[in-house]
Amino acid sequence: MKKLMNDPSKAVGEAMEGLQLAYPDKLTYTPDLEIITRKEKGDKVAVISGGGAGHEPLHAGYVGIGMLDAAIAGNVFSSPSPDRITEAIRQVNKGKGVLMVVKNYSGDIMNFGFSAELAEMDDVEVETVVVKDDVAVPDSTYSTGRRGIAGTVFVHKIAGAKAEQGAALKEVKQAAEHAIANIRSVGMAMSSCTLPSVGKPGFEMADNEIEIGMGIHGEPGVGRSEIKPAKELAKDLLERILKDYDYSESEVAVMVNGLGATPLMELYIMNREVQNLLKDREIKVYKTFVGNFCTSLDMAGCSLTLMKLDDELKELLDAPCDTPALKILDK
Amino acid sequence: MGFMISSTDYAEFVKRTYAYIHAQKDYITALDSATGDGDHWVNMDMGFERLTKQTDQFLSMPIDRVFQEMGKTMMAVIGGSSGVLYGSAYLAAARAVKGKDTLDVNSLCDALAAMLEAIISRGQSKEGFKTMIDSLAPAVKTYRQALAEHKSEKELCLAVKQAAIDGAENTKNMEAVRGRASYQENKGVGHLDPGAVTMSYQISIMMDYIIETL
Repeated sequence: MKKLMNDPSKAVGEAMEGLQLAYPDKLTYTPDLEIITRKEKGDKVAVISGGGAGHEPLHAGYVGIGMLDAAIAGNVFSSPSPDRITEAIRQVNKGKGVLMVVKNYSGDIMNFGFSAELAEMDDVEVETVVVKDDVAVPDSTYSTGRRGIAGTVFVHKIAGAKAEQGAALKEVKQAAEHAIANIRSVGMAMSSCTLPSVGKPGFEMADNEIEIGMGIHGEPGVGRSEIKPAKELAKDLLERILKDYDYSESEVAVMVNGLGATPLMELYIMNREVQNLLKDREIKVYKTFVGNFCTSLDMAGCSLTLMKLDDELKELLDAPCDTPALKILDK
Repeated sequence: MGFMISSTDYAEFVKRTYAYIHAQKDYITALDSATGDGDHWVNMDMGFERLTKQTDQFLSMPIDRVFQEMGKTMMAVIGGSSGVLYGSAYLAAARAVKGKDTLDVNSLCDALAAMLEAIISRGQSKEGFKTMIDSLAPAVKTYRQALAEHKSEKELCLAVKQAAIDGAENTKNMEAVRGRASYQENKGVGHLDPGAVTMSYQISIMMDYIIETL
């Protein structure tokens, strides 16, 4: 393992601290509990999110005006514990309630769920939305079901914008759920990733091998194959999304997201292919995001996310935000 | 001396468990890498390391307080799914033996049963889902049976230990319903569940220790 770090067991805390030090006037860091909050809080519903570390800039990179009020990190790929989440709730609650944006993984559901129960005991109004955008996993009420991946960034944006408008908790939750219902994603990986604490890749992939549908923790996808031209890969990803949800004759937001070790040059090439394919299918692109938004440590690969837009979602997507990882200027 | 678990005994149990789990790094990590993301050992080791550091404080506490402190520590330090499950389990055990300084053969059963119930309810899981429940549930069932049959304390401990080990072994053929292994194409069939294995370690170490002190 060759990584820029001091001690694997301190990697998460040192990364969070480093993020805060880059935005000292905007962010606050709570050591050990790994909470990043925004300094300027506003008298509004608070929106928080969190999960395992290793997906940077998710989640702490989206703390700021127009998106999250707080983000809580766990260990790498491991949910934060209730003591951290409860403290984050305490720090951001302005008496208008707190919306938790949770990705659909067993650990996150349990830890955020437990925290919600604790908060309710303290008479704090807490609502939860669960992001499950990964079409590589069948949705199911029996099993844990569909995973939450890069589409989470859109949910942070929409919920954060709605809260910033001064909406009530119920309305913020509705907006987030409306976004979730219209978001689908799928990823593809070209390499494994290395957990700092483990020190070696979680699994092996041959040099010429790729896997469609791999999760952001290296969970198995829907099939391995040889690497193909970007045009074909983009088509494969897009078709899986379009098969799952009807985007025809609609306007969409597109996200081409890097998993950590894929150069932007390749992401731009993927975006070119995606835009061409969408044009062929007469799906109108309203806004595009290309970059590393939700990564998997040093995994190579990308994910594609579409969010179908209506007037409300367009307005919330366009609303200004100022966070380390996403800035949208006032029109 | 008979069956009696004091805070001192529990502290010794924690130390032994830490030593044992600490030595199983490669095995548990390999199990977890096969179906999960390979960090189960790291998290459990970190949790028991912290608990071991706390054992001096345990000595002056009644057993229900020990459980409470263990629950808080495990929740915070282990993190992830295992942390909240063990945390909920020990907090429930603390409630189940509230007011007790030490445990006898019946109240240990109550504590384990409360842990099982808490894990089932927090994890929205049950036996057969290929989780730690598959080691703990048969152990609790066997414990209850042994009590009902008035088995000797040594026989009881041996039976509970065996049930936990067999339960963990049985996860090999199960399909995972919860957690990372459930995303595997074959749902982890053919692999042991690492959470069930580390649960069986804890139960085995506890039963062995009790037999030693009988």
